[in-house]
Amino acid sequence: MNTADAIITCTALEKHYTRGGETVRVLESIDLSLERGAFVALMGPSGSGKTTLLNLFAGIDRPTAGSLTVDGHDIVKLSRAALAQWRASSVGYVFQLYHLVPVLTAYENVELPLYLQPISRRERHLRVSEALESVGIADRHAHYPRQLSGGQEQRVAIARAIVTQPALLLADEPTGDLDRTSAAGIMELLSHLHRDRGQTIVMVTHDPATAHHAQRTVFLEKGRLVDAPEVHR
Amino acid sequence: MINRRTLIGLIVLAWRGLVRRPTRSGLVVAGVMVAVFLFCTVDAMRTGVERATSRASQETALIVYRQNRFCPFTSALPQYYENAISKIPGVVSVTPVKIVVSNCRASLDVVTFRGVPAEDFALSHAASTSPREMSDWLKRGDSALLGKELAERRRLKAGDRFTAAGVDAYVAGIMQSDAPQDQSSAFVHLPFLQEQAKRGSTGGIVTQFDVRIADPSKLDEVALAIDAQFATDQTPTTTRAETAHVARAATDVIALIGFARLLGFAALAAVFALIANAIVLSMRSRQREVSVLQTLGFGGAHLATLVMVESLILGTVGGVLGAGASYAMVALSRTALTMEGVAIAVPPSIGIAVAGIVIAIALSLAAGLVPAVIASRQTIVCGFRS
Repeated sequence: MNTADAIITCTALEKHYTRGGETVRVLESIDLSLERGAFVALMGPSGSGKTTLLNLFAGIDRPTAGSLTVDGHDIVKLSRAALAQWRASSVGYVFQLYHLVPVLTAYENVELPLYLQPISRRERHLRVSEALESVGIADRHAHYPRQLSGGQEQRVAIARAIVTQPALLLADEPTGDLDRTSAAGIMELLSHLHRDRGQTIVMVTHDPATAHHAQRTVFLEKGRLVDAPEVHR
Repeated sequence: MINRRTLIGLIVLAWRGLVRRPTRSGLVVAGVMVAVFLFCTVDAMRTGVERATSRASQETALIVYRQNRFCPFTSALPQYYENAISKIPGVVSVTPVKIVVSNCRASLDVVTFRGVPAEDFALSHAASTSPREMSDWLKRGDSALLGKELAERRRLKAGDRFTAAGVDAYVAGIMQSDAPQDQSSAFVHLPFLQEQAKRGSTGGIVTQFDVRIADPSKLDEVALAIDAQFATDQTPTTTRAETAHVARAATDVIALIGFARLLGFAALAAVFALIANAIVLSMRSRQREVSVLQTLGFGGAHLATLVMVESLILGTVGGVLGAGASYAMVALSRTALTMEGVAIAVPPSIGIAVAGIVIAIALSLAAGLVPAVIASRQTIVCGFRS
């Protein structure tokens, strides 16, 4: 792949923690390049470092060593404030447990990241409405998270992640807490975002059936990329 | 650093967060409100005492009391002292006053009868009541002109009769004077009150003389001259400036208010602790929420601002409610502290209310500072692990 087409490029990426005086090597020597517009699944057993790698891509955690360029930014060198600003405009993140703000309605949760954008109130309203519409939850806009099902909450979380039109959408086991029907709906939605909008998606999952929706699957084991057959649709 | 649109968004976010956690926010606001109410009310009392007891540079009023007597029941002076006092150089007028109170101790509901020479009083207080009421008062020997606070407190109007401290009087009218001593007093004819309060002694006895002098700089000089005049008499006198007389009568109240003021400051310390505690607990229970906001791109400055705005809203709302309630209570209740026949009005003050609000705001900002710094420095991953 031409590096000019890559949205994520990492070289010799490492992440270590010190726990009880002992160094835990969560990620080791990760060399990876993911192309813009791709739908990539990160797979591996529990503790293999999938979520940590996703967090590094999102700039919500810092690598111990190595280089990491996302959407043209060397995010390792960005200051804390610059990194936050970059996240606000370039990354959308979907959590396994949705993490909606409980005292805000679906509309207000989706509106949250737009407070950081230099847009008018009218533009904000249009974008929120469009995002809610695109995830099929517009009729629940005035509902609080406690009034929504798991699948509906995750749809709101996806709307919140895409409302800023980020270059990169990261999803950490987006169907991990959902029943089969809701999970299928969420995967259909992500596929639709990728297919119709060309959205770059990197998704962590345990489930091969879920990974099946992705164009490419990257395997991790004990913090290292392993040679496994890449699954192409 | 934070643009206007984002700031408005953060304020809206903070407001929604507080309004939609009504129990927690309500309890904090109620705590702040009570503390600010206490502070403002005590400060209003302190201001009243300060006004009543601080000697003004232009003060010309002296009170002549019986020496070593501290209560209207025991201060008895011969009325004929009036002539001798009026001849002392510098004295402009002398008014013999008989005082009978329903309660000699400090109280918020005391009826103070002031027996005064009718003609002199009518001349000096002509503007305080309507000509018809004044004429009615002059005609009837058992009539009283009531201060408006006393009339409101006892729900009395012209034409009523009332009895207090063993004195039965007819209400000729209501006075509109703003002077504290007038507002909770019932002015009656001097001979009438002397007769009513005789209790075995003869008439011609008064409680005190109200003396006016021409030159404020000679207040102490004239006071000494009056006391020297009667030093070897059977009933020697002690003469003080009116404010000093009030201060002496209110010694115990002043001490109590001094202590209450400490309680007021303690209440403000409680405001600080209350808001700080509420914000710290709130942020601790919302660590994940903070991490979510950080993931969405909210930086340290945004989060610190959010916490400060929350703290500011709690302090401002509580401060406004507490100061407003205190102002309304003081203004509506028209409270006067009365002791030994001396009344000290507790005045409503916009200045005190504003000071209460400003202090609550300042304390809320100080209380939010540490939680704001903690929230701004929280790492995203740690927040999610919490």
